[in-house]
Amino acid sequence: MISSFVGYFVVGVLLLYSGITQAQPEMEHHHHNDHHAMKMDETGMVMNENADKLPEDCSEIRREYQFEVTAGTEYAKPFPGTTFGFSDHQWQVEPCSRITVTFINQDRVRHQWMVHGLPKYLYDQGMFHMEAAGGHRQSGTFIVPSDDRTYLVHCDIAQHMEKGMKAQLVVGRGSGDLWSVPGVSATFERADETMPRWLWGAGLFCLMIAAGLVVVWKARISR
Amino acid sequence: MRVLVRALVLVVLTLLIVALVPWQWYPRDWRVWYDKQFGATDYREAPATIPARPLQDSDYDEIGDICPPDLKGWRKAQTVAGIDILAEPGCLADNPHAIAAFVKGTNNVGHMTLMNARLSPDAVVKGRDLDQDGDPDEIHIRLEVFELNGASPDINEPVVQYSVAPGIKPGFWVFAPKSVGMSTENFESLIAQPGLRMPSPAIRVEQGDQIKVTLENTHYMPHTIHFHGVDHPFLDENGEGNDGVPVTSEKPLMPGKQRTYEMQPRQAGSMFYHCHVEVQAHILMGLNGLFVVEENRPNNWLQTFNIGDGLVRHPSVASKESYDREYDLHYQDFDKELGEAVQSSNDPRVITQRVHRQYDISQADFEYYMLNGRSFPYTARDSLIVTAPDERVKLRVLNAGSEGVALHTHGHKVTITHYDGVEHPEPARITRDVVWIASAQRVDLDLSTKDDGLHSYGPGVWLMHDHRERGVTTNGLGPGGNVSAIVYDKYLQDDGWPMTFGLDWNNFLAPEFYRRDSADGSTSLLESVEPYAISTLRILALTIVIGLLLGLLWVWTFVKKRND
Repeated sequence: MISSFVGYFVVGVLLLYSGITQAQPEMEHHHHNDHHAMKMDETGMVMNENADKLPEDCSEIRREYQFEVTAGTEYAKPFPGTTFGFSDHQWQVEPCSRITVTFINQDRVRHQWMVHGLPKYLYDQGMFHMEAAGGHRQSGTFIVPSDDRTYLVHCDIAQHMEKGMKAQLVVGRGSGDLWSVPGVSATFERADETMPRWLWGAGLFCLMIAAGLVVVWKARISR
Repeated sequence: MRVLVRALVLVVLTLLIVALVPWQWYPRDWRVWYDKQFGATDYREAPATIPARPLQDSDYDEIGDICPPDLKGWRKAQTVAGIDILAEPGCLADNPHAIAAFVKGTNNVGHMTLMNARLSPDAVVKGRDLDQDGDPDEIHIRLEVFELNGASPDINEPVVQYSVAPGIKPGFWVFAPKSVGMSTENFESLIAQPGLRMPSPAIRVEQGDQIKVTLENTHYMPHTIHFHGVDHPFLDENGEGNDGVPVTSEKPLMPGKQRTYEMQPRQAGSMFYHCHVEVQAHILMGLNGLFVVEENRPNNWLQTFNIGDGLVRHPSVASKESYDREYDLHYQDFDKELGEAVQSSNDPRVITQRVHRQYDISQADFEYYMLNGRSFPYTARDSLIVTAPDERVKLRVLNAGSEGVALHTHGHKVTITHYDGVEHPEPARITRDVVWIASAQRVDLDLSTKDDGLHSYGPGVWLMHDHRERGVTTNGLGPGGNVSAIVYDKYLQDDGWPMTFGLDWNNFLAPEFYRRDSADGSTSLLESVEPYAISTLRILALTIVIGLLLGLLWVWTFVKKRND
C-alpha cells in the first residue's frame, strides 16, 4: 500500500501542473475572520488552534492528552543517517480526543510541529501548525475526528523532514504506518543500498554449480 | 568432374563475398583502380530525413504559461506599509510585502505584511538612528540555509523545487532571509515558495551602519559566512572569529546552531558574501551573494534584501541621484554532477562524503550558466534589463562562478565605474562592449541609453550575454546559459514578455529541447537523419556466405579423407 504521504505528493504534482495558485490569500482571509487562528511573534507561531469546536462526527471530547515534544539535532543521534529529530516520532490517541502539545525547540534555529490531513472545515488547509524559534517553546491544542487514521507530523523547513523530522499521530487503530518515520518505518526509496560486487560473483558461481548438478542428475536418469 | 564443380562453387562463393563486402571497407587504392576500369558504382539513396517534431499538446502542458499571470498584483508600482515600490516591468515580480518589510525592518511592519511576506519578525531588525540623519543605522539580519531540489526518502523527485530552465532542477543550497512556515508554496505543492530561490539574495546596507548578520544553520551540513571585500574586523567584540574561514577564524557552524558576524563598513561598494566551508563545493552549490554597501545619505531607507537579484524596486538615495534604475546581476556557473551529489542519497553522511571528498572540481566540466538564478529562456521571465531612451541604468555585476564571464551587451557600450567596489577615476574610465569579470570580481556599470551610436544604437531587444561560447549553453545546447536582454519599454508586451521577431519561444520552453538523450536528435526546429548504417541484411548475408565457404572447405579437406 502506498502511504498517504506519497499520495499527498502525487496529488501535489497533479495540482502543480494544473497551475493552482498559492493558498496565501486564503490564509489572509481566514485570519480576518478568526483572530484566534494564529498567534505569531519572535518566539514562533501557532496556527489553526482549536480547543472547543468539535468535528462533525464527534458528539463529545472522548479523552484529553498532553504531550511534550522536544526537537533538535540531539534527537537525531539514535537514528544514523538523520540530522534532525523529535523526542518522540509516534503518538497514539483515541478518536475525538483533545490534544495539547508543548513543543520545545532545543536548537538555535526554527523547527516546526505540523499535523496534516485534519478536516478542512475546522483547520485551514487541513493543518495544525506550531513553529518554535531557536531555544523557544510553543503550546497549542487541537481536536481530532472520530475515524481511525494515521496523520503526518513533520517539520516543513527544507530537508528537515527528509533528514529525520518526520513523525505520525495515530488516531484509534490508525490507517497504517507512514513511510520513513525514524524508529517506526522503513524508507520508501532506498537508492543507497547496492549489491556488493563479490555477491554478484558468488551468485553466478552458485548458478553454475546448480546447472552442473542438473546436468549430472539428468545423465544419471538417462542411464 | 567433381573437382570442377567444387572449383566452380568456390569461385561463386568468393565472388559473392567480394560483392557483399561493403564498398568502403576496400583499400582506397583498390577502389581507385576499380573506378578506372569500370567507372563509379551505382547511386544509392542517402538515409531518410526524420522530420522536425512539431510541438504537441503534451509539450504545451509542460511549457505552461510562458509568462504566468500576475494574479496577486505584484508587478505594479505600489505603496505597501508606507513604502514606495517601483513597478517591475518584467514578467515575474518579487513579493512587494517582503520588499516593504525589508525596507522598514521586519520589526517595524504589521502582522499582515509579515504574513504576506512569509518573513520572521526578526529577519531584518532595524534599530536606532545613530547619526540622526533619518534612517536606521543598527541593522540585524538573520539568514537561514535552504536546500533546493534536494533528496527525499520517499519520492524519486526533487523536493522544494526550483527550475533554472525548462526541466533543469539541480540540487542547490542558498542563503535566505529568515522566514516562517513552509518551504513550499503550500502543502500540496513541491515548488519552493517565491522567497526561496537562486541566487542567494543581494544584501544592501549603508556605509557606517552597525551590522550584525546572524547565520542560523537550518541545513544538515556545516557552513559559515565570509564577507568578501566588506570592511569587517578579524575578531568580533568578544574576541571570536569574524572572517568566516574554518581554519584561521572559526569552526564551521554545525546544523541547528547559530553565529553572529559583526561589521561597520567604512567604505561603500559592491561586495560579495559566501560560505567558506569546502569552498570548491559550497560556493558553487549557491551559498554566495552580492553584498552592497551604499553610500551614507540622509533618509536612506534601504531594501536590505533583493530576492533573486534583478531590479532594485526601492533604490538607495545615492542611486536615485545619478541613475534612473538599478539592477543587481549575479552570474553563476554550475556542475551537474555536484548537484546530483545531494540528490543521489538521502543520508547526510553519504552526501557529505560525496560533496566534500569524492567531488573533484579539477575534473569537472560545467553544464549550467545562470544569470540571477536562471538560464535562457527563463531569463526572459525575471532577468531582463528593462529601460527606456535617454536613461542611465546602474548595473552591479557579480561573477560568483568559477570561470570568468565576458559580458557582452548588444547595441550598447557600457562604462565601468567601479572595480570590486572601488570607484575608478572618471577621466580614466573605460567604455566598451565586452567586460571581463574574473571569479568573485564585481564591476559597477553605467548603461546609458542615449542613442548616439556609441552608448546605444537605439531602442530594441538587445541581447546581453557571456561571450565565452559555453556561457550561452545549457547542457552544452544553445541557446541557453546566461543569455538575457536589454529591452526598451516599447518592445515589452503588457505581460512583461519581450516583443520578438524570430523563432517561437515555445521551441525553447519545452523541456525536451535541453534533453541531450532525445532518441533521434530531432527537435521542433530541426529535422534529423536516419542512421547512415550499413545494411544489416548485407552483413548477415556476408557472414552466412563466409560461414558456408569455410564449412565447405572444412568438409572437403578433412571429412573426405576419413571416408576414403
